[in-house]
Amino acid sequence: MKRVGVFVCHCGTNIASVVDVKGVAEAARSFPGVVYATDYQYMCSDPGQELIRKAIKEHRLDRVVVASCSPRLHEPTFRRTCASAGVNPYLFEMANIREQCAWVHAKDKEGATRKAVDLVRAAVAKVCRNVPLSPGTISITKRALVIGAGIAGMQAALDIADAGYKVVLLDREPTIGGNMVKLDKTFPTLDCSA
Amino acid sequence: MPVAAEAKGWEPKIVAFCCHWCAYAGADLAGLNRLQYPANVRVIRVPCSGRVNPQFVLRAFQRGADGVLVAG
Amino acid sequence: MVAAAQHPNIELMTYAEVENVAGYVGNFEVTIRKKARSVDPTKCTGCGTCWEKCPTKVDSEFDLGLGKRKAIYLPFPQAVPAVPVIDREHCRQFTRGRCGVCQKVCPAKAIDYDQQDEIVTEKFGAIVVATGYELFKWEEVYGEYGYGKYPDVITGMHFERLNNASGPTGGKIVRPSDGKEPKTVVFIKCVGSRDEAKGKSYCSRACCMYTAKHAHQVLEKIPGAQAIVFYMDIRTPGKAYEEFLQRTVHEGAVYVRGRVSRVFQEGDKLIVRGEDTLLGRQVEVAADMVVLATAMVPSSGWEGVAKMLGLQTDKDDFFQEAHPKLRPVETFTAGVFLAGACQGPKDIPDTVSQASAAAVKVCQLFTQDELATDPMIATVDESICAGCAMCEKVCPYKAISMKTITERVAGKQVARRVASVNGGLCQGCGACSVACPSSAMNLKGFTNEQILAEVDAVCL
Ligand SMILES: Cc1cc2nc3c(=O)[nH]c(=O)nc-3n(C[C@H](O)[C@H](O)[C@H](O)COP(=O)(O)OP(=O)(O)OC[C@H]3O[C@@H](n4cnc5c(N)ncnc54)[C@H](O)[C@@H]3O)c2cc1C
Ligand code: SF4
Ligand code: SF4
Ligand code: SF4
Repeated sequence: MKRVGVFVCHCGTNIASVVDVKGVAEAARSFPGVVYATDYQYMCSDPGQELIRKAIKEHRLDRVVVASCSPRLHEPTFRRTCASAGVNPYLFEMANIREQCAWVHAKDKEGATRKAVDLVRAAVAKVCRNVPLSPGTISITKRALVIGAGIAGMQAALDIADAGYKVVLLDREPTIGGNMVKLDKTFPTLDCSA
Repeated sequence: MPVAAEAKGWEPKIVAFCCHWCAYAGADLAGLNRLQYPANVRVIRVPCSGRVNPQFVLRAFQRGADGVLVAG
Repeated sequence: MVAAAQHPNIELMTYAEVENVAGYVGNFEVTIRKKARSVDPTKCTGCGTCWEKCPTKVDSEFDLGLGKRKAIYLPFPQAVPAVPVIDREHCRQFTRGRCGVCQKVCPAKAIDYDQQDEIVTEKFGAIVVATGYELFKWEEVYGEYGYGKYPDVITGMHFERLNNASGPTGGKIVRPSDGKEPKTVVFIKCVGSRDEAKGKSYCSRACCMYTAKHAHQVLEKIPGAQAIVFYMDIRTPGKAYEEFLQRTVHEGAVYVRGRVSRVFQEGDKLIVRGEDTLLGRQVEVAADMVVLATAMVPSSGWEGVAKMLGLQTDKDDFFQEAHPKLRPVETFTAGVFLAGACQGPKDIPDTVSQASAAAVKVCQLFTQDELATDPMIATVDESICAGCAMCEKVCPYKAISMKTITERVAGKQVARRVASVNGGLCQGCGACSVACPSSAMNLKGFTNEQILAEVDAVCL
């Protein structure tokens, strides 16, 4: 059996002034798989994250849903929170009830609350089907290719080489230097260019 | 327009598939700017509009959605 | 230049072209064609006997045709490496099958007429694209300046060569037509730049400043000379740039605001006709030489480079950076960075800054021993993959290839083709999972099951 925890954020008054956050948490308790649901003022704050970690331990949660701002903002934050409490960071989902709900339906509290409930239901349904994932790794060949050996290519090659890495500086012409070596003196200092 | 649509209080149920990189970010931006729109659209985030299988759209209609938006 | 050539960590590959790029960030496999120089660089000492004795003279590309070079040549005396190449299109040994002069005179026995192009494939972790610019081909469109038929209507780059101490005239500013010193030099700015009708809509950014430099050089080198600059606007937004311009103006350069409508030859003068829009009247100058500040455009061959590296280009074919403000040297291909004028017209200070920025991005990558990859990528269920390769066709990142697996079916070993996803290349777009007719391809983190469950949940 899945053990999902749902955490509904007030975001101060950003969400709570439009969405009935307690109502959303209440509704979430009835969703399949949900064993714990609560609301809190600032989920992303240190105490907010600590609350999630404690709930994971106390209620033996194996999956987490946070209903708050956009995942584009805090998905990495909460993934780390989960990981630090021993839950695979990919057994986590977010419901965006701020940018895509409270903020855009400010005058329709009921509609916004209904929508928030639906978004949380979707996030719960999804998270129940998540599986633990782990990032892969790829090795790095520490050698750079610079295509074009004008002043840009020469400068980049020198900087990389000075940092201790091997560089191949390639040009299709018989010589390096590019356009700059055709110039006489160069502005603004009028020193020579080669 | 179906008769039901004219009945007072009826609102279509819309499912929107939004690409994480553009349309979903755009919906976030609408929020940041406090642009107001009706609350009857439900956004499902996808990594790219190319991820939207026609099967997803059909399923939404099957389950009672009145409109489906694929944005990316 | 010499610093780059002598650095123990830098290997030069000149006269070489990239033919193919495979792989992905950290693991690029690059195929390079080293063109045949016909000279063995390990033997050549750069003594110069060969090009002195070579009987074939052709126009020097480096001097933009203002000077000559031999069929075996160094582009310019300080070229690096100081190993000549034989231009096989003109060398008599290749065109007529006999000559052999350079081979006879070379004291190091370095000449090798049978040398072949060499193709090598090398591994790199990161690539910096610094392919620079060329000048807009004004001769093809600017009839009012004579379509290039007047020898004394030249570009700023020709002027640089004339003015360069190691150039074809030893640094004397003279007219290409008769070698006489010009007394009145007219400069025309924004030729091909800021001209949507005939050229490009953008500003080439370096011309206002190099024209001020050229005007200064005319006044400095030619006693009693006159430098007249026709301009649309003067743009000097750089440190010490406005001061540089003002110095040139105080030295006596005459700036006329307006466009030149016609240049034509009358006797040995070039008549420059235009409008002074500040005074609201026509002006006519009898000039000895006209210098055009022509637009910078991307180096020819940019299409091939863009295609091999998966780079996007802007409306003017310069390579597109990942974000115009926040990611100016990154591209949409991880591990590939941009530096210099290939990204857009710029002068040397900006080019150098951008090149150092690109270098830091490369170093940033190289300080890591391994790169973590996003786990939300495509995955194949080999047991139901039909091997149809539909997924391979749709993947925009070329992340899918077909491989052969063997399995036991009814006690027999059978081989079967299935799809395989490269985790370094897959960007997790999910296009393959939609194309797959047997539902074998799925996207981790956004599986069919997950999304369908969401649809069901919101439609309740
Ligand atoms: C007339 C004139 C005067 C100027 N005077 C000044 C001045 O006084 N001060 C100043 O700051 N700026 C000046 N500039 C601007 C300056 O020339 C540029 O800012 C600078 O040269 C840009 O350097 P780059 O390395 O990006 O490009 P480039 O110098 O163009 O170098 C590009 C190199 O890449 C090579 N290449 C191209 N394509 C390929 C390929 N496919 N494969 C392999 N190699 C390739 C080319 O052979 C070339 O060597 C002047 C420009 C002009 C036109
Ligand atoms: S004569 Fe021989 S050694 Fe001298 S430059 Fe020519 S090839 Fe090199
Ligand atoms: S998810 Fe996209 S990038 Fe990855 S293999 Fe499939 S089509 Fe290619
Ligand atoms: S489209 Fe599906 S069945 Fe066809 S090769 Fe790819 S994974 Fe296999």
